[in-house]
Amino acid sequence: MKPVAITGLGVVSPFGAGVKAFWEGLSSGVCAIRPITLIDTEGFRCRIAAEVPGPIAGSARRSRADRLALAAAREALDDAGVDRGDREDAAVIVGAVGGGMLEAEAWHWRRMRGSTEPVPRPLASSFPSAHADVIGGTLGLTGPRETVVTACSSGAASLAMAADLVGDGVVPVALAGGVDALTRICFMGFNALRLLDAAPCRPFDRDRRGMSIGEGAAFVVLEDPARARARGARVYAELVGYGMTGDAFHVTSPHPEGEGMARAMRIALQGAGVAAASVGYANAHGTATPQNDRIEARAMRDVFGEGGLLVSSTKSMIGHTMAAAGTLEAVATVLAVGSELVPPTAQLETPDPEIPFDCVPRVAREATVEFAISNSFGFGGQNVTLLFKRAA
Amino acid sequence: MGQRVAITGVGVVDERTPDVATWLADESEARRLSRICQLTVAAGRRALADAGLDAHGGLAVMVGTEFGDMVSTISFVDGYLGRGPGGLSALLFPHTVMNTMAATTAIAVSAKGLSLTLSALTVAGELAIARAASAIRAGRVGACLAGGADEPAPLVMSALREAGAAPELRAAGAGFVVLETFDGARERGARILGEIAGAAWRAVPARPHRIGSTASSRAIAAALTEAGASAAEVGRVYTSANGDGPREEWERALVDAALAPHRLTHRSLSVPTGRHSGLAAHSVATAASEGGDKLALVHAVARGGNQVAILVRGPDGPDS
Repeated sequence: MKPVAITGLGVVSPFGAGVKAFWEGLSSGVCAIRPITLIDTEGFRCRIAAEVPGPIAGSARRSRADRLALAAAREALDDAGVDRGDREDAAVIVGAVGGGMLEAEAWHWRRMRGSTEPVPRPLASSFPSAHADVIGGTLGLTGPRETVVTACSSGAASLAMAADLVGDGVVPVALAGGVDALTRICFMGFNALRLLDAAPCRPFDRDRRGMSIGEGAAFVVLEDPARARARGARVYAELVGYGMTGDAFHVTSPHPEGEGMARAMRIALQGAGVAAASVGYANAHGTATPQNDRIEARAMRDVFGEGGLLVSSTKSMIGHTMAAAGTLEAVATVLAVGSELVPPTAQLETPDPEIPFDCVPRVAREATVEFAISNSFGFGGQNVTLLFKRAA
Repeated sequence: MGQRVAITGVGVVDERTPDVATWLADESEARRLSRICQLTVAAGRRALADAGLDAHGGLAVMVGTEFGDMVSTISFVDGYLGRGPGGLSALLFPHTVMNTMAATTAIAVSAKGLSLTLSALTVAGELAIARAASAIRAGRVGACLAGGADEPAPLVMSALREAGAAPELRAAGAGFVVLETFDGARERGARILGEIAGAAWRAVPARPHRIGSTASSRAIAAALTEAGASAAEVGRVYTSANGDGPREEWERALVDAALAPHRLTHRSLSVPTGRHSGLAAHSVATAASEGGDKLALVHAVARGGNQVAILVRGPDGPDS
């Protein structure tokens, strides 16, 4: 693929609003997973998640997820210096799963318990595609507009799709990212699958018990590198390769040998013409379920060799933010290569001997990394690997 | 210029299709799949059979949908509301994610390539086909099942009506076309139904859920540019009309302005059966089958401004 420049970042995370708060939280190894306040957790074993703290900016008539998305999208566009004139042709691609379901669930709950209140108008915006329309309409982006749903890899897929549009010359600039607010369906569903740890998740730990869920939004601005240089834009990193594969194996379980995961990583490397040995860091999908971490590690070992690179899971601090995860972790990866600091895996006390990598336990590590990958995997065997190169 | 994109197969099923079950592997598969996933898998297998294409690892799947599997989602939620945490079904939960149709189809046909679910109001199926055509043209994908699926859940439809959404004629169904590189299709001796000559998607300025005030269509212009064609070369138009009067008027204005001074008859396959995202595949295949020396425009525009334009050439077109 043709490399594309990352020139703007925007984040609303469980550390609060803004890229600065996000990076300070990650690099200090703080865990933002706490008791849930947004939804009723009575009767469930797990009662924690990584919520975005405090009030979310924006009109209360918009869904929480729309407000998260708008705030992150605005920050990214402002950071990149994309002005009104540039926005007319700009693409917006959003990875989303839950949409405005938090509000729709609340209405349905009330209605099922006898309420006769009319359907609030914002309920028409409860589908995932609403975010792209809100962002595009509010921020004046009238290029290609897409909402991609590849489950927990949606946020990463959005960047890959945006890179294609920029690389193919369809658009000069694209805004891409992911968003999900906490929803009852997500919380209850992972509880039903018994995949949630009652304590904050411990990726790659021998005693890990499952994942923690979270919420947030992240967007990045991608553009042609020559265009970025010409306008004097700050380039954080380049997205130089990606791989998107399907397991075609099972709706909820990854392929037991990580075949699709490894293929996604190899395709990303091949597309960029980068040797596996050149990659210094992997921001892992790292959900902390016993099965996922083991299989992802196996796939990485197949591609990079044992101990071939530093690996960490930022989900240990911000939980699994679903459709936002792929973008939040891409931003973490971009910042890691740019600042020469690899964020840690929090709560990692006893490394699992089956994970043959240095998983950067608890404390961030200074490291000069030329190339780094970000892995995201989702239900349905939807594997996405993004490959970033440090800016020259 | 890139690769030429051939249409080599089509499969469309809906609630009235009598033989959906015959396209499912066995009773066990039928039991595991929700109704919309059954329809999607059946449409996918039917399209591949029509194309004479064996399932293979590199096959991509792109599914457009407005609503996903809301019927299963509501059942999942109501399990909790009825019986508390003990009423939650781990089997239903994956269906609450919109990629469930793409995932089950990819599994059913062993497609291990790129798999995307695109969610959009009104234009989802057309968008998936346009994305797939773009990926093939750029050389990123060799062959793809592209189309869509929808199943309007009664609760969702009534809530949308209560919330003031426009009345629209909807149906449950799924449909795919098989797209592949022209050279690849010829090499394997495939019957070529037609060609995607150009495809583009853009947003027309409009507030969410509203129609816009402009009739300027950059999507149609971009599709014509990609096809290397002029507006005069378009001879037929298939639209997304399905009973939302103001949106239909806007679509007519967008298309007429883009093709001016030619005013062509608009036809929508959503009327009278009801629209679902799989009908995009039906429109593309029908446009190809009607042939002729003119291009057909398959067009869709949604409230909120999302717009897709696909230019289809029949098998007997000038360059085929």
